[in-house]
Amino acid sequence: MIDPVKEQSSQPALIQAHKVNKVFPNGCHALKDVSLDVQPGEVVVIIGPSGSGKSTFLRTLNQLESITSGRILLDQVDLTDKRTNINKVREEVGMVFQAFNLFPHKTALGNVMLAPMKVLKQTKPEARKTATDLLNRVGLADRMGNYPTRLSGGQQQRVAIARSLAMKPKVLLFDEPTSALDPEMVGEVLDVMKELAREGMTMVVVTHEMGFAREVADRVVFMEEGELVLEESPERFFHSDHPRLQRFLGQVL
Amino acid sequence: MQTQSSRWLGHGLYLVIMAILVSGVYFAGQKINYSWHWERLWPYIINTESQDIVAITDGTAVVDKAGRLSVLPDYGDDPQLVKVYDTLVARDGDLIFQGDTIARIEGWRFGPIAEGLWVTIKISFISLIFAVLLGVMFGLMRVAHGQVWRNLAMTYVEVIRGTPLLVQIFIVYFFVGTVFDLDRFTSGVAALSIFTGAYVAEIVRAGIQSVSAGQMEAARSLGMNYVQAMAYVIMPQAIKRTLPPLAGQFINLIKDSSLVSVISITDLTKAGREVVSGSFAPFEVWFTVAVLYLVVTGGLSLLIQCLEKRLSVSD
Ligand SMILES: Nc1ncnc2c1ncn2[C@@H]1O[C@H](COP(=O)(O)OP(=O)(O)OP(=O)(O)O)[C@@H](O)[C@H]1O
Ligand SMILES: [Mg+2]
Repeated sequence: MIDPVKEQSSQPALIQAHKVNKVFPNGCHALKDVSLDVQPGEVVVIIGPSGSGKSTFLRTLNQLESITSGRILLDQVDLTDKRTNINKVREEVGMVFQAFNLFPHKTALGNVMLAPMKVLKQTKPEARKTATDLLNRVGLADRMGNYPTRLSGGQQQRVAIARSLAMKPKVLLFDEPTSALDPEMVGEVLDVMKELAREGMTMVVVTHEMGFAREVADRVVFMEEGELVLEESPERFFHSDHPRLQRFLGQVL
Repeated sequence: MQTQSSRWLGHGLYLVIMAILVSGVYFAGQKINYSWHWERLWPYIINTESQDIVAITDGTAVVDKAGRLSVLPDYGDDPQLVKVYDTLVARDGDLIFQGDTIARIEGWRFGPIAEGLWVTIKISFISLIFAVLLGVMFGLMRVAHGQVWRNLAMTYVEVIRGTPLLVQIFIVYFFVGTVFDLDRFTSGVAALSIFTGAYVAEIVRAGIQSVSAGQMEAARSLGMNYVQAMAYVIMPQAIKRTLPPLAGQFINLIKDSSLVSVISITDLTKAGREVVSGSFAPFEVWFTVAVLYLVVTGGLSLLIQCLEKRLSVSD
């Protein structure tokens, strides 16, 4: 009989970041030997003080930011390899931004349909079907024809999530998805993310929502000054007596 | 907040001021003993006078049973045939000398001012199309990743914006036009397009850069390549923002087109100059020319406003 635990661990990680360094042209050393593996279906939450390199690290995972040294494999594909078609990789790595970045000249439906039609060459009815289903799933069935300016922040972020999902990504990256939201809208976005996690989506989430980390994360990562300081399961993470983490949690909680 | 009554007061005051201005122009004309002859202008816009058909050789007029007129020359050349006419002047068998009026055509045709207006519209429109093509191309080059492209586009913009249009027209006509054997009209269109294209390029560049970087990142994160992201995400937003400054530039183009009269293209301005010397009504002619320019620029302005309104549904 095959041991299910062993079976799982022998499965290669979906994201393998190995000793990633990033030095910006202005000399800022934003990432220092950051290594992190993410298994399929895992939810990894990254926390850390402002300027610690959380966004930069997340952005290297879909190559919005190039890296100075190290290696990043995504589903065995080396992102730093010159022969890798980065557009193909990005189809499989969705990203949700703090500022939503919806396309203002398209309706909610248009936002979700655009990439599947232009990149995956889906026909319009096909794309419309997928988009309608996804917007239903994030609870926006009655807002499909609205332009982004006619949507609340929470609604915009849910459209953005649906837009990423339309590409059927293997991984979703979230960069502080609720930081720009009014407090009463944070819940609706987190609920959508929890639902995704339950359905087995692989997610890397930068957030200040400790409750979300505790409840949903399989692993929590603490970054500070460009270094990955600590990487633990939520139970152990929030009871850790690591001095740097203690200092940070003391400030935010 | 403006009250209703103060608005009406403003309108009234405006009308008074305009009336004073117009009468000022009128009395200024009186003061220099200028007699206005607006009616002299008509033939230069639409000519309704009948046109004379004259004999090209000496000979004898022949009118056959079907009413066709021809002139049989004295010295065995081919006869001059007049196929269409409205009234006959010569009769069958008349002796005709070269230059005699033998028939007349009624009806109307465009005068030189109307024809000049048409040339102005045509040259502006064609130049506008090419200016937009050049402008979008060089605007995209200005924000491209390759340094070569950026340098090339920058050189184009700086050279064109740093030299007078009049000089450019001469250079295009006398140098480029001679090298490539271009006619006047083509040279004029080329000079105007290249000139306006540089300004359009700057407007396009500013429009692209006004779209937040997050838009490009979102598009690329969805797997679109640079060209797709530009075409479907960045440009549609940029174009909307560039419409007001573009409208201004297109209006400038129409006005700048008056400069092509220096290479003997008979546009509205040159037609005006010619008509002034024939009609002895300079004030009337120049006022008319100004109003015609205003109509064309105003029409374009209106068109772009409609377009803006249509694109603003997503605001
Ligand atoms: N384009 C850039 N050029 C130069 N330095 C940069 C650039 N982007 C980020 N940095 C620097 O890199 C470091 C890490 O920035 P990053 O945005 O990743 O931090 P963060 O952890 O996401 O912070 P926050 O919580 O404020 O979003 C910071 O010191 C920042 O100043
Ligand atoms: Mg950040």
